[in-house]
Amino acid sequence: MAGSQLKRLKASLREQGIIGPQQSKKQKRKNAEQLRAQPDKRLQRHEALASIREQFNPFQFKTNARGPKFEVTTNKPVGDKAAMAIKGRPGLSKAKSEEKRRETLLVELQRRNKVGGLIDRRFGEDDPNLSLEDKMIERYTREQMRNHKKSSMFDLEDDDESAGRLTHMGKPLFDDEEEGDGAHDDFDEEDLPSGDESDTSRAERRRLKRLRLEEAAAEQEEEDGQPERKKTKKEIYDEIIAKSKLHRYERQAAKEEDNELRQELDKALPELQALLFQQRPKEPSKETGAPEPPLVIAGKDKATVDKEYDIEVKKLAADKRAQPAERTKTEEEKAKEEAERLKELEEKRLKRMRGEAVEESEEEESEEEKDEKKDDAHDPFQAEPEDEDEFGLGKGVKYRPTATELGLDDEDDFLIDDDLVASGSDLEFDSDDMESEESDDEASGSESGDDEDDEFVKGILSEAVTKDAVFRAPENRKGDDENGIPYTFPCPQSHDELLEAFKGVDVTKHPVAVQRVRALYHPKLDSRNKEKLGRFSEVLVQHVAYLGDRFESNWFPTLESLSRHIHSLAKSFPIEVAKAYRAHIQKITDDRPLGLTVGDLVILTAIGTTFPTSDHFHQVVTPAMLAIARYLGQKIPQALSDYATGAYLSILALQYQSFAKRYVPELMNFCLNTLCSLAPEKLPERPGFFPIHESVAGIRISGARDTAVRQLNCNDCLPQHSLSPADAASLKVAIVSTITAVLKSAAETWHGLSAFHETFTPAVTVLQHLATSPKSTSNLPSQLTTKLSSTATSLSHLLALSRLSRRALELHQHRPLAIRTFVPKFEDSFDPDKHYDPDRERAELARLRAEHKRERKGALRELRKDAKFLQRETLRIKKAKDEAYEKKFKRIIAEIQGEEGHAAKEYEREKAARKRKARRG
Amino acid sequence: MASAESDKATMAGKRKRQENGEVSKKRRKSDAGDSDKTTHTTITETIPRLEAEIQESRKHYNNIATLVDLAQKLDEDPKVAFAACEALCRTFLRLLPAGALIKRKDASEKDTTVTNWLRDRLVDYRGALVALLSNKKLAINALTLAMAMVKAEARHLTDRPEPVFPRHFFADIIAAILESPVDTLRDYFTTNFIRGYDDMRFYTFEAVATYLTQRENVDDQTRDIVFDLLLSMDDVPASSEALDKFFIEPPQKKKHPLRSIIQHKKQVQEAWLALMHLGLSKAQRKKVLGAMATTVAPWFTQPELLMDFLTDCYNTGGSTSLLALSGVFYLIQERNLDYPEFYTKLYSLLDADMLHSKHRSRFFRLLDTFLGSSHLPAVLVASFIKRLARLALNAPPSAIVAIVPWFYNLFKKHPLTTFMMHRVPRTQEERERLESEGMDDPFLPNEPDPMETRAIDSCLWEIVQLQSHYHPNVATIAKIISEQFTKQAYNMEDFLDHSYGSLMEAEMNKEVKKPPVVEFMIPKRIFTKAPPGSEESDSLLVSLWDFGSSS
Repeated sequence: MAGSQLKRLKASLREQGIIGPQQSKKQKRKNAEQLRAQPDKRLQRHEALASIREQFNPFQFKTNARGPKFEVTTNKPVGDKAAMAIKGRPGLSKAKSEEKRRETLLVELQRRNKVGGLIDRRFGEDDPNLSLEDKMIERYTREQMRNHKKSSMFDLEDDDESAGRLTHMGKPLFDDEEEGDGAHDDFDEEDLPSGDESDTSRAERRRLKRLRLEEAAAEQEEEDGQPERKKTKKEIYDEIIAKSKLHRYERQAAKEEDNELRQELDKALPELQALLFQQRPKEPSKETGAPEPPLVIAGKDKATVDKEYDIEVKKLAADKRAQPAERTKTEEEKAKEEAERLKELEEKRLKRMRGEAVEESEEEESEEEKDEKKDDAHDPFQAEPEDEDEFGLGKGVKYRPTATELGLDDEDDFLIDDDLVASGSDLEFDSDDMESEESDDEASGSESGDDEDDEFVKGILSEAVTKDAVFRAPENRKGDDENGIPYTFPCPQSHDELLEAFKGVDVTKHPVAVQRVRALYHPKLDSRNKEKLGRFSEVLVQHVAYLGDRFESNWFPTLESLSRHIHSLAKSFPIEVAKAYRAHIQKITDDRPLGLTVGDLVILTAIGTTFPTSDHFHQVVTPAMLAIARYLGQKIPQALSDYATGAYLSILALQYQSFAKRYVPELMNFCLNTLCSLAPEKLPERPGFFPIHESVAGIRISGARDTAVRQLNCNDCLPQHSLSPADAASLKVAIVSTITAVLKSAAETWHGLSAFHETFTPAVTVLQHLATSPKSTSNLPSQLTTKLSSTATSLSHLLALSRLSRRALELHQHRPLAIRTFVPKFEDSFDPDKHYDPDRERAELARLRAEHKRERKGALRELRKDAKFLQRETLRIKKAKDEAYEKKFKRIIAEIQGEEGHAAKEYEREKAARKRKARRG
Repeated sequence: MASAESDKATMAGKRKRQENGEVSKKRRKSDAGDSDKTTHTTITETIPRLEAEIQESRKHYNNIATLVDLAQKLDEDPKVAFAACEALCRTFLRLLPAGALIKRKDASEKDTTVTNWLRDRLVDYRGALVALLSNKKLAINALTLAMAMVKAEARHLTDRPEPVFPRHFFADIIAAILESPVDTLRDYFTTNFIRGYDDMRFYTFEAVATYLTQRENVDDQTRDIVFDLLLSMDDVPASSEALDKFFIEPPQKKKHPLRSIIQHKKQVQEAWLALMHLGLSKAQRKKVLGAMATTVAPWFTQPELLMDFLTDCYNTGGSTSLLALSGVFYLIQERNLDYPEFYTKLYSLLDADMLHSKHRSRFFRLLDTFLGSSHLPAVLVASFIKRLARLALNAPPSAIVAIVPWFYNLFKKHPLTTFMMHRVPRTQEERERLESEGMDDPFLPNEPDPMETRAIDSCLWEIVQLQSHYHPNVATIAKIISEQFTKQAYNMEDFLDHSYGSLMEAEMNKEVKKPPVVEFMIPKRIFTKAPPGSEESDSLLVSLWDFGSSS
């Protein structure tokens, strides 16, 4: 299409039929009629104009720089606006933003540096869509609603009703000002039943109201034709008001009556209260809040008394004794509670036995670690290098090739000479004292254990009460009781001090002394006592070992009692006692792993009773058990005392495992070995897979046919060099008898184990050999032979039972593990522009960052536009100002000029007049 | 004196004996003259004078004979003898470089006679020196003199440009050292010469080998000495280039045996073989086997020669077998030794003492190698597993700790053996029979052949029992066989080197931080018996042990 822009515009306008050749008046009228008939024609015309405008403004749309995309590359519909590649309408958006700025920014600009002003909050004031009537109606309803919300129906005080009243031309609709009382509501109707405020009558009231209105309307109608219409209405209202006043008065009276009654009741309240809560102590009338004036104490005014009273009340509330005490429990309840506590403790013990984590127990941490490690082990793809200490085995033996070659590495060697035993006991005496110096830095902040009602605490408490005199008496007064035991002791902080303190006390009376120390230094008496008693409990452990090493046969009740004291102390000082025991075990390990003394045996026994031996892991029991097993496994008995010690440890090991029933291989080894060595005759062939040590010459039993079977005692554990043959035989028989009993008891403990058959078959063989071989029967006392054979029989019964209950192992009933797939994950609709970050966090971060950048740019752009707009506006304002100034200036100039010209003209005229005058004159 | 001389002659060998015959007259004459002179004056003063005179002119050569006489009188006065030896040493050290003892073809008859006479005196002097080595006080000094003589003789006794080592003299010295009662002498010799000089080591062991082979009956003491000497040779030179320390100047020729590492090794090997032919005590055998890999085998150029020794040791049984195992394995692996029924033998080593032995970890390392092949029959592997499981019932915790992870590795390698852990009865009848009769262990513990033990039909009840071992860590480790086998393999090295001591140390190193659990019931009685008629029952300890409560 050729031609200029103007020509093209004309052409296109003509095409659309907007302009055309000039029409006659007739035609014009006809067109107008048509237009009126179909109003959308006007719209059509509008649209056509818009399209033409679009056509002639190429910058109205923002498009793709390289035109629309090919159909192939997009799956969007062809006719779409987006397909036409119109990306935006810059003109439109500019206009919009300009408009918006004018509304906000410009207003702000204009309001800048101005203080105060009016904000029009009237409803719909700025809304052009509302018609005036609508606006007014809406305003009225709002006002009504506001008022309605404020007043409650029964609010008698709220008499200000003017807000909710309809007005006309500033005057109230119902003219009742002259009455001087604004009170006016529905209740004021004359026909309302008086004194009735209940809700039940509401419907009735409404009905009445309706009737009344109808009546009034009828009246109105009747009086319609009469001239005094207004007056009658007023009369009606007067009546109504009078009635309502009466009604109100009545209500007031009823209310007063009620009040009186209530006050009466209040007065009678204290008596009533006493009746209701009889057990509650009668409170002084002051506190009941009675209406009579409080007793005023002389010299104090009422305010101070009140204040004091408040303080007292607060004090009472804060007092612990004011808290409700727990109800005294009945015997059954107590028993039940105790049973529950025991049950809970037992459950905890079982949990610990299984090695599970017990909450609030010290195993928690280690168990968690273990669990974590187990989890690691479960993960097949986490092929991290093997943790050396995965099973907590420690570092193992340091590699010492030369030492091993030279035979110094005696760890598993059986060629250990016997002198360790002899030297061990000597070492014990010195190191006993040294031990006391260690672990000074211990924290003694352990919680005092639950004060159990064991006899120790009872004794202590009762003693503390009875010996009240002792506490009050000066310290230098030293009283002794009938046994010669002083009542007061210093709290021994080392073993030397203890020996010094207990010097004059007979060993058998030591428990009494210990009890007195514990009573004297009970933690409740002094804050420092806790620390002292902690040390004392450690010292006590040392003392037990000390006494054990020098034992006499009548000391065992003492040792028992001391051990129980330690146990009771361990409840308050578990860490201290555990450390003391562990120190002792450490000393055994370092000095005499294979030469245990009687003191060691006593300590190991005490450990077994103080701590739960059934735990999977225990800081004290596990090392103790290891020490026992080490002796049993590695000691090659050279003398009968070694056998006796081993027998004691076997019993102890079995006692340790009596609950958890854990297997101790060393015990079997030792027992069978002992029987083999002591047997009068060597076994014809090896009975099993336990290592047999060649028995020392002269250790086999012979000629003990008539020896009585006795029990072993601790004297047998001491190395004795010169035993008479009879004593030796008696000891040997005792050992065999004890070991037999141990084997029997072990079989009873372990008969549930899966390899019980394999474990005890050798034992049966050995026992039968001892019981039946001709040389044995001739050399052993018949009592022992019977015992041996009966044990062998009972063992073989158990063996047969275990054989019957044996099943093939089915250890791996695990759910099969899923094999991890390595097939790569494919994206169905892959978009190269999109980021497929497998790391979700990173992807999220990148997204946020991009958004932030976008927002930032947008904000900058907006700010820039704002600035431009402001500039433009200020410029416009300035221009307008300048223009005004210019105009004004010009006007003034013109005015002055006009005046000047007028004056000049005046002058000219005057001059001419004078001239004329002069000429005349 | 003539008899003494003839003694020396026999020692010195054939060549010397011929010389002796030639110059016997001359010497007898001079002997007579010497004796006249030395009867008077104090001997200590005369020795320096005699030495000085020899230095002055050849006339006084007879003084040498006098000095030799003095030197030989060791029993009478060792100090004098030593002083004489010193003087003689100096004399000979002067004479030898001067060429006085070199036999030349073009020399006159008189000169030849003098030379021969001097050589005879030298032989005598050697004898005196060797005899001095058995003297407690002077042995080390004598050794220094002797070695100085050896050095000088090697260089100057012949007119050849290369030094010729005086083997006979040296053999005498070695024999004297070996037989000498002085221990410090041997130590001195070992540290200063054998370790110090490569050629000395070479000649020493050559001499030792001949010593051991030629003597009919070597007493046990000497044998021990030789044994210790050989065992102390632990630094094997790496290559021929490493042979750079020479006592006597190194030979020029490249092909000389002293320059060859093989020849060096051969000398030591010969010495070892000679010693082994004489027989070793049990303790010595163990020592040799223990040091086999580090000090013995590297010296052997032909380790096959050890074959008999090792197989003998291996068949002995007990710990000797354990020790011989690595040597035998080395030969099987490297030298293609055919050891019939190796695995049967290996199986027989798994006896009751094995897990208690101090060589346990060493054995397990080897066992891990032997059973490392995945081509072994599962039946055989199962036998080993079952046997060790049986042994574990009586084993110390440290052994159990080593065994179980090893089992795990074997199970992983030989999946057929996993039936030992998980065997579901297949048929209804089987199940019913199991319910009604229980089952015996099909394993035959006394069957020597690992292929016939029927262990593959058995189950590992033993390890399940050890899952309730008293030691928590052992129990935890034993539990790995009943958990899912998700781990590829356990590293055996982490589990091998444990003992009671190390386990205890690991326990005791844990600090007590949290208060330990205390038994909530304080027992009424620990050592005392319950009063008769009361409801409490005695603990096991009280019922089995007499705590004197009755008395």
